[in-house]
Amino acid sequence: MEKSLATLDNGTTCSAWNYSGQRLATGSVDGTLSIFDSCDPASTSFKCTSKARVGESGVVKVVWIPPLFGDAVACIDGNGSSSLWEELAEDAQAVEWKHCKSFQSNSAKVLDVQFGVFRTILKMVVAYSGGQVKVYELSNPLELKNWQLQAEFQNLTDSVAKLAKASCFSASVSWNPQRGDGQEMSFVLGFNSDTPQLNSSKVWEFDLDHQRWVPVAELALPEDRKDQVFSVAWAPNIGRPYEVIAVATHKGIAIWHLGSNPDTDGRLSVERVALLSGYEAEVWQMEWDMSGMTLATTGTDGMVRLWQSNLNGIWHEQAAFEPAT
Amino acid sequence: MPGLAPADSAGGGPDSVNGALVPYLPDSHVSAIYPLRHGLNPPISRVSVSWGRGNSLRVSVFRQPDSDGGEVGGKVVELTLGKSRDGEISDTQWRKIAYGSVSPFALLQSRKNSAASLSRMQLSPSPYHLEWWEYVMEYSKDISALLGDPKSVGAPLIEDPNEVFIKKSEEPSSLKAAWELMEMFYVDKLSQAWLPERLVDWLADYDSLISVDLPTVHSKLVEFQSKIVTLQVIEDDPRYWDLISSALAVGWLEIVTENGLVEAVAVLISKMPRMRPAIDAGKHGECFKAKPDFVKAWERWRAQITKLDSSAFWVQCDNRQTREGLKNVLQIMLGNVDVLCSATCHWMELYISHFLYIRPFTAGLESMYSLAQNCIRLKHTSNPHKLMRLMIGILGENNEVVLSECSRGFGTWMVAHAIELLTAGSNEADFLVHEERENLGGISLEELHRLVYAQLLSSHLLTWQIAPIYLTSCMRQGMGMLEILLLKQPVQENQVLLKNLEICRLYELDGVSSRLMEISGMYHWKHGRKGCAVFWLQQAQDEVRLSKIASQLFESVGKSISGESFKQWEGLIELLGSEGQPAGGLDFLHKYRDFKKCLQHADSKKDADAARQAVESLMSLMRNASTPQRFWLPILYDAVKLLSWDKRPLINVSQTNLLLNKLQELSLARLRPDFVEPELPTHALNHVRYSLATNLGRAILEES
Repeated sequence: MEKSLATLDNGTTCSAWNYSGQRLATGSVDGTLSIFDSCDPASTSFKCTSKARVGESGVVKVVWIPPLFGDAVACIDGNGSSSLWEELAEDAQAVEWKHCKSFQSNSAKVLDVQFGVFRTILKMVVAYSGGQVKVYELSNPLELKNWQLQAEFQNLTDSVAKLAKASCFSASVSWNPQRGDGQEMSFVLGFNSDTPQLNSSKVWEFDLDHQRWVPVAELALPEDRKDQVFSVAWAPNIGRPYEVIAVATHKGIAIWHLGSNPDTDGRLSVERVALLSGYEAEVWQMEWDMSGMTLATTGTDGMVRLWQSNLNGIWHEQAAFEPAT
Repeated sequence: MPGLAPADSAGGGPDSVNGALVPYLPDSHVSAIYPLRHGLNPPISRVSVSWGRGNSLRVSVFRQPDSDGGEVGGKVVELTLGKSRDGEISDTQWRKIAYGSVSPFALLQSRKNSAASLSRMQLSPSPYHLEWWEYVMEYSKDISALLGDPKSVGAPLIEDPNEVFIKKSEEPSSLKAAWELMEMFYVDKLSQAWLPERLVDWLADYDSLISVDLPTVHSKLVEFQSKIVTLQVIEDDPRYWDLISSALAVGWLEIVTENGLVEAVAVLISKMPRMRPAIDAGKHGECFKAKPDFVKAWERWRAQITKLDSSAFWVQCDNRQTREGLKNVLQIMLGNVDVLCSATCHWMELYISHFLYIRPFTAGLESMYSLAQNCIRLKHTSNPHKLMRLMIGILGENNEVVLSECSRGFGTWMVAHAIELLTAGSNEADFLVHEERENLGGISLEELHRLVYAQLLSSHLLTWQIAPIYLTSCMRQGMGMLEILLLKQPVQENQVLLKNLEICRLYELDGVSSRLMEISGMYHWKHGRKGCAVFWLQQAQDEVRLSKIASQLFESVGKSISGESFKQWEGLIELLGSEGQPAGGLDFLHKYRDFKKCLQHADSKKDADAARQAVESLMSLMRNASTPQRFWLPILYDAVKLLSWDKRPLINVSQTNLLLNKLQELSLARLRPDFVEPELPTHALNHVRYSLATNLGRAILEES
C-alpha cells in the first residue's frame, strides 16, 4: 500500500514538505540543502532539482517558511546556528536558492525554529540550548533579510523570574495553526533540559495591548512539571470550541484540551484528556492531520503510529507501521 | 485509513465473531501493525512523518550515513490511509463512484434544506414528510446504479455446458450488496410487505460474495458445473440431486425446473405462490400482492405437494437416485426443517429457505432477528462476512452497529452516503446521527462521517475538487476544513489558483481567496514575474505589500530614470497606472515617472518648456490624494531644481503655498510613531524648506 516518492542521497539526515506537499527539502551531514520537485503536479515521483551548500557542518533540521513569504526554508546546522534560504529569480536570471539571513550564536545553540503568521506579519520563534526563547519579526514582508528581535524570555510561568544558564538538549515549538485573524498569536514550547522549571510545555500568547508575550497555560500535571518534553504539536482547529495540543514526555503522549476563555488572571483552562502510554520509545516527532483528528508520531523504536479518539472521546492507537525492507 | 477511529472502534470487536450482537464497545480496540516497506538496507537512523494531501501520510526513512557513500541515504514513501484495502474496487472505478454520487447527494441535501425551511414556515408537519422516503429512494436508486449491475444467478444458458447452472457475468460488488440491504430495510416502504421475497432476490444476486471463505449453494453449483461434462446420466449422480435440493431451498427455481426434473414436480415448482408484486420474466412462481390471496394459493399448492408426495408415482419410479432426489425436493417444498438445513450451506441460505418454505411472511424485525440467530446457531461460522455483520446489525435494529459496519466493512464513502438511508428509516437513527456530541468537538456523527469522507477525497489530485460539496453540507466544521483544504493547494499553478478562487467565490470565502492571491503574488514576485505579482496582490488588496513594492519602484524610478533597468519597470508602471484597476496606491508612480522625465529633460537641456511641464506634473502629483505621504519629501527634494530655476520663478505663489502646506502636514506626520523616514540626505528637509521660502519670495516679487 505504500508508494515510493523519492530516493535520498547518502548522508541525508532530515526532511520537510512544504505547505502543499509539492516540494521536499532535505538536509545532509555535509551541509547540503536539497530541494525535490515532481516534474508535473499529477506525478508522485520527486527528483532533486536544486542543491545549495548551506553550512560547514551538517544540517540537522529544515523548516519551511509559510508560503505567504515565498519559497524559503530555515536550516539549523550541527553547530547550532541557523540560516534562511529562499528561491529567487532576480533580474531575469535563472531560479536559484540564495542565502538571505544567518542567525549566529555565540554560546547557545539553536534547537528549534518555527514560523507563525498573523495577517501580514511573520514571526519566528527560536529556542536555544541555554533555555532562552527569542521571537523575531520580519520587517519587510517582501524580503527575508531584516528581522527585528521582538522579545526574549525563558520558558517559565513566572515571567519575572530569571534562571541561571541552563543546558538544554532539545526543544520543541509549535504555533497555533490558526486560520482567522480573530485570535492572538500563540505557540506552545517545551524543553528537554537539566533545568526542571524550563521543561514543562507552556502556551505563550502575544498580548497586543502590552506588546509582550505572556504564558497563558502550562500543559503538565503538578507532579509531571519537571518531566523533559520531547515534542509538542498544536492541532489544527476546524471548529472545536477548544484547542487540542499533544505533548510527549517519557511518560507517554499527553493530549490536552485548552479552553479559549481566559480567567481573571489571563490563564486558559487546561485538561489532560488522555495519556497514551505503553509506548516505551522516546518520541521524535508528532504531526496532526488536516482535520486535527489524527496524530501521527515517530520515535526511537522506529515505528510510525497513528492515534485517534473514538466516539466517546477515548484516545487510542489506531494503527502502527513498522519499517521493513 | 486502517479504519476510521470513531466508527472503527464503535463495535465489531472480538465479540462479533460468532455473529452475536455486538454491544457498543468503544474501548475493545486492538490496534493493528502494518509493515512499511521502504527497501533500504539497515541500519535505519531516523523516521519522520508529514501529512500530504488529505489522508496521505509521507514517511521519510533515513539510513545511518555511510562512510563509503555507496548506499542510498533514505527513502520517502507515501501511505494513503482510509482506502479500502480489499481491492474489490479499482481506483478508477472508485473515482467514478465518487464523482457520480456528488449530484444525487447534493440534490438530496438541497431537497432536505428546502423541506426544512418549508416546515419551519408552516410550523406544522408539512406534507413533504409523507413523501420524504420517496426522495431518499430516488437518491438510493441513483447511487445504486453507480455501483454496477448485480450478477443474476438464475437464467441458465443451456447452450454452453460450462454455464448450465451459473451464468458468468460481471462480478457483483459487496458495496452494491450492502447498499441494497440498507435500501430494502430502511427506505423502500413499498417492499416492506414482501421483505422475505426481496431477501430471496438479494441472496440470488449476491450469494457468490459470501462464499469467499465458506461453501455456499453458489460455490457448490460452480464446483459441480466444472464436472458436469464428464457425467453420462446426470440423474444418477447423487451430487446432482443434492444440488437440485439446494437450489430449490434458496429459491432458485429456474435452475431446478430447467435441468431435467420430471414434469409434475417441475410444474409444481414453477407454480409456487410468491408473496410479491411481480417477478422478472423468465423467473418462476405466481405472484400475489394481497396476503389472503397468497395464503389461499399457498395452502392449495402445499396440498398438491402433499398429494404428490403420497401418490403411487414413487412406487413406479425405479431409478433410486431419481426417486430419492425427487422425494427430497418435495420435502423442501413442504418445509421440512432438517432437509432444508442439510440442503443449505450458509446460515443466510438457511434463513432464506425459511422464508420460502416455512414462514413466508414478515412478522417484524424482532422475529426476523431471532430467526437469524437460530440459523446462525445451526450454521455457525467463525469469521462472518462483512455483509453478514451488516445484516445482523440491521436485523438487530442496532443503528450504531450498522454505522460501524458500514464504515468498517465498506469504507468512508459508504457510511457518508448510507446515513441518508438509515435516517430515512427511523427517528431513533435520525437522532443518533444528528445529535451534537461534545466528544467530537460539538459535531454530529453525520458531520463527522462527511468530514472523514471529504478528507479521503482530498487525498487525491482528481477528487479533491468534489470535497467542498460534502464539506459545505457540514454545519459546524466543514467550512473550517474547506479553508485548510484550499490553503494547501499549490496555487503557484495558475489553473489550480483559478479553480480555488472559483470555489472561494462560490462559498463566499473572501479571506481565503485573498490569502491565496497573496501567496500566488508573492510566488511570482520572488520568481521575477513582477507584473503578475502586482496583479495578484492588487486583486488581494494587499496594501502592505503593494506599498512596499511602491517604495521599491519609487526608488528605482528615481535612481534609474535614464538607465537601462528603468525599461524593466516601465511596463509595470504602465500596468499600475492603467485606469479602472485598483492599484493600491501605485497609480501615482505613473505621474511620478512623467515628472522625472520632464525634470531630466529640463535639467539637461535647460529647457524652460520642459521645466514648466515638470512643474505641472509636480503639482498634479502633490494634489493627487493617492500619492502616499511618505513620498512627498523625496518628490519635493527632486523639485528643488525647479524651485531654484535661475531665469525666473516657475512656481507661483499659490502653488508654493500648497507645497508649503504639504511640508507642514509632513512635519506633523513625523511626530506619529508609525512614520517611516525616507532614505534621503540629512539636510534634505532644510534644503526643501529653504528653496520653498526663497521661491515664495521670488514669486511674490514677480507677481507684484
